[in-house]
Amino acid sequence: MRKTGSGLQIDENFPLTKGALLLGFVFLLLLPVVARYSDYVLQVFTHALLLATLALAWNILGISGSISLGHAAFFGVGAYGSVLLSLELGISPWFTIPLGGLVATGFAVITALFCLRLRGGYFALATLAFVEIPKVITDNWDSLTRGSLGLLGLPGLPTLSLGSYHFDISASPVASYYFVLSYALLLICLVALIFRSNLGLALHAVRQEEAAAEAVGIQVQRYRLLSLLLSAFFTGIGGACYAHLIRYVEPSLVYGLHFSAIPMIFAICGGRFTVLGPPLAALVLYPIDQFIFHPLLPAGHEFLYGAIIILAILFMPSGFWGRLGKGHLVSAKTGSIE
Amino acid sequence: MWTTAFVSGITLGSFYTLIALGFALIFGVTHTFNLAHGELLVLAGFVSYWLWKTFGLSLVFTFPAAILLSFAVCLILQRLFSRLREPLELNSVVVSFGVAILLQNSMLFCFSGDYRLIRVPALNQGLRLHTFYLSYGQLTLLALSLLVMGLLYLLMHQTYLGKALRATMQDREAAALAGINVGVMGVLAFGIGAVLIGLAGPLYGCIQYLYPTAGLQATLIAITITIFAGIGRLHGLILGGWILGLVESLAVVLLGASWREMVSAVMLLILLAMKPHGILGREG
Repeated sequence: MRKTGSGLQIDENFPLTKGALLLGFVFLLLLPVVARYSDYVLQVFTHALLLATLALAWNILGISGSISLGHAAFFGVGAYGSVLLSLELGISPWFTIPLGGLVATGFAVITALFCLRLRGGYFALATLAFVEIPKVITDNWDSLTRGSLGLLGLPGLPTLSLGSYHFDISASPVASYYFVLSYALLLICLVALIFRSNLGLALHAVRQEEAAAEAVGIQVQRYRLLSLLLSAFFTGIGGACYAHLIRYVEPSLVYGLHFSAIPMIFAICGGRFTVLGPPLAALVLYPIDQFIFHPLLPAGHEFLYGAIIILAILFMPSGFWGRLGKGHLVSAKTGSIE
Repeated sequence: MWTTAFVSGITLGSFYTLIALGFALIFGVTHTFNLAHGELLVLAGFVSYWLWKTFGLSLVFTFPAAILLSFAVCLILQRLFSRLREPLELNSVVVSFGVAILLQNSMLFCFSGDYRLIRVPALNQGLRLHTFYLSYGQLTLLALSLLVMGLLYLLMHQTYLGKALRATMQDREAAALAGINVGVMGVLAFGIGAVLIGLAGPLYGCIQYLYPTAGLQATLIAITITIFAGIGRLHGLILGGWILGLVESLAVVLLGASWREMVSAVMLLILLAMKPHGILGREG
């Protein structure tokens, strides 16, 4: 009873009809055919899809009400974990990418020791500070990571062959697009499952009223830990995919504000109480940034993200798609991010 | 070597207290975290750098412009923050994070991403006594930081305005009942905070490189010292600044200069682990 009731409510939050979603899906599937002559368009959408996976991963923690400003830590640790395993031990990236996710999860355990007892603004501050630690260590561990110079010429993902079709994921923009698209679709399904599972329901309860959730027997800290670890795992995998796709890592790149701020902004703007809001925000906002603002303002075009998050918190705290839906109930009580 | 490290730690620490003063005042009075604090500081530094470089203005004359600009931005920030709903701490963190991104990109647009430093040759000379060395720059930094702290202490303890501000910090509701306009106090806190940022920014540009994303370090320093001190305790801010400065100098001597950036982050995490309910969560 509880399961179906609350589980369905989450889907009903989402205002887009099945038809519109199907149309979007077909658009994504056929994009390489349409954009065949422009590698740039494909690259932008590949990165938008990667950011969509990061926003989905961020939101696994986000539904519990905790706001992280430091997911670049998991992204960077996952990227470096996978890259170093494949470089030093010669393991194929197919295996090191999930291992990178596990390394990020291990780092999340350390994060949890410091941050999990914190709530609200203090949790956010702690995550912001936590990025500095792996960043400075990576910067200084010259013998392993070559410090701030970064690592070049990383092993790419191998070519998949199906009969006469060759699918060179690292070299061909079309192949890397489909690779990231399939990961994004997989993650959407996984996050939808998490939302409907006991974990997801418990996290919703924790966000809405932690004391009440505890009173009905939800082990709040255990669920918060689980959501942090899952979120870090998928963010780490995102980092590892990114590193092997562009075949280059550098501390200031993978631990940069870009990978902390942008997934958070997409998740909050898209709607933290929905599965599809965060990835949709990524697929709409990132191309707008790249195709419209980047040509106009080559330096400083990311001001857009700052402006968007300010407007979102002030005027639509439950996010763009969260507000249009019936699920405004979720935050009608306080009318703000919790 | 140890005395030099000690002196530079105390000097740097006093300056860190100056950096934290504005942040602590705004947080104390309005209970909002301003994550754009460091960006404001760097912006003030950039304005000073620009006037110094383009018009050959002496550093002293660039302060009014830096203060004026940080004043304008802080008032806009105050308008934004006054529209926030509960929980104020979390909402202010996210909104000011957005403001920080806005400011970073504006600085990238106006001043490019290059590293800049305000070089005043006179400040690099100094006093030498055997192995002990103190540059005029350090002396200026120490003297100015202590002077500003002294003035702020006088303002807070010798004037009616200061009394009202302190009352608001201690208990907003009681202060409001006593006839203090808490909203006006919030605006004043941002105003005084802006002046402090405008004073610290150009000095920051003399000792550290300015670049659009340099603000995060200063923000972390300000948060660490504020959380260490608690609300409305000036001596706590000074002590916190000195401890942070000394630990940073120690880290530079023992580990090397490149580890310095981690010190404030680690200290903040340890402090938060010890005070999991934050500053306001205390009972009674």
